[in-house]
Amino acid sequence: MDDMRGTVRDIGSTTMKISASDVQVHYGQNHALKDVSVDILDRAVTAFIGPSGCGKSTFLRCLNRMNDTVASARVSGKILLDGEDIYDPRVDPVQLRAKVGMVFQKPNPFPKSIYDNVAYGPKIHGLTRNTAELDEIVESSLRKAALWNEVKDRLDAAGTGLSGGQQQRLCIARAVATGPEVLLMDEPCSALDPIATAQVEELIDELRNQFSVVIVTHSMQQAARVSQKTAFFHLGNLVEYADTTEIFTNPKDPRTEAYITGRIG
Amino acid sequence: MNTAHILTAFDRDLEAAQALVVRMGGLVETALLDAAEALDTRDEDLAARVRAGDKAIDSLEDEINTRCALLLALRGPTAGDLRTVLTVMKIAASLERAGDYAKNLAKRTSALAQMPQVPGASGSIRRLAKAVVQMLTDALDAYIRRDLKLAEDVRRRDRDVDQMYNSIFREFLTHMMEDPRTIGPCMHLHFIAKNIERVGDHATAVAEQVIYLVTGALPEDERPKVDSTGTGT
Ligand SMILES: Nc1ncnc2c1ncn2[C@@H]1O[C@H](COP(=O)(O)OP(=O)(O)O)[C@@H](O)[C@H]1O
Ligand SMILES: [Mg+2]
Repeated sequence: MDDMRGTVRDIGSTTMKISASDVQVHYGQNHALKDVSVDILDRAVTAFIGPSGCGKSTFLRCLNRMNDTVASARVSGKILLDGEDIYDPRVDPVQLRAKVGMVFQKPNPFPKSIYDNVAYGPKIHGLTRNTAELDEIVESSLRKAALWNEVKDRLDAAGTGLSGGQQQRLCIARAVATGPEVLLMDEPCSALDPIATAQVEELIDELRNQFSVVIVTHSMQQAARVSQKTAFFHLGNLVEYADTTEIFTNPKDPRTEAYITGRIG
Repeated sequence: MNTAHILTAFDRDLEAAQALVVRMGGLVETALLDAAEALDTRDEDLAARVRAGDKAIDSLEDEINTRCALLLALRGPTAGDLRTVLTVMKIAASLERAGDYAKNLAKRTSALAQMPQVPGASGSIRRLAKAVVQMLTDALDAYIRRDLKLAEDVRRRDRDVDQMYNSIFREFLTHMMEDPRTIGPCMHLHFIAKNIERVGDHATAVAEQVIYLVTGALPEDERPKVDSTGTGT
């Protein structure tokens, strides 16, 4: 039997996809993210770990300007995607989010058919000229999300009728459908059972052949299993960022060690 | 890392495994000392006790492996915890091998008791055994105290032990050529010397595990191996 867990493989890429420097985020008086600088690789999975409230989601949301939608949030610093400043006034945040897709903790399919869930993004971004092209994108996205075989005979069924794990893969298909280059995932497995989790992890391992994947996870084992790079956040600081194998066998900072070995929550 | 885990049972499990490996180290040290003493004084009773004592060492290793397997399965240790578990298992394996060599020395003591003495041999073997037992003692001390310097020192001393073994080898060769009646005992004594030298290798392996435990990396330079006997393995 095939092991469903992703295998730790060498990092295939050395190309930077995202380069963040001196990123600070304030929510009103709350200084939530302090001077974070990090380079994120293309075609690799980068995991963000750290105790609740340390700023993982906040930083993730900086990468596709989701924080723009939070009234109290102030973001400073520089974030480059392929060398281009994503906070440049000429950048359209909606276009940016098609390039930098996001998958959330709780699967949140639209109350529509499976087909429409996936077709929605390509439609509003005008990515297709006719239904044949749309059909093609829907199929290829569902295939990339490892869901096609399970739903191909019921594309008209409601997305909300799928199991939790299938719903999450549907959300991944939806994110993939707009042809993104980066996939941000905020605790994508925390509402899933172990089998569905293993399937999503296996999927993540495949997605990294095409995308730069950034995943926030509370499961240390998950970070160790799926990622090639790991960043440890603590109290709004990026404490340590290194190869995942290094972080889990020989971390340099005592705070990292204390966290991953279960000594601080 | 000396702060406690949130799960206190995790700390208890790790400490128990480490206590067992220290106890195992004590048994192996005693076995080696007794085996060397038995050899030196041709004490067959003592040699018999060393042989019988190897069972306890083996079963300690089994217990250590069982506990470590459980730790890995149930607690998924990482970082320093992971290195603690891995080094416990490796040190236990080295100690088990060293224990086997002590048993082998004891076996050969009985065989030697029936043979003529080889002049000068017991002195050189005694010195070699003393140096090696000291290496093992220091390696275990280095482990208990997480003492990098002492571990490095043990590693360095393995070189001296290799040299002592080489000169013993030449000494025996000379005896055998001069007087073929010494061939029987010299062959035994040579195996004894070789086995003691191997114990030195295991003491060095323990010291290297200490270095890995503390620094997260094994020493990179290949340990200098001095073997001019042409019988090197
Ligand atoms: N929308 C928001 N409005 C105000 N404060 C927020 C908001 N989101 C997060 N925060 C605050 O920012 C800090 C970091 O939170 P977050 O990024 O969600 O952490 P994590 O994802 O690591 O659990 C926390 O103090 C949290 O209360
Ligand atoms: Mg979060």
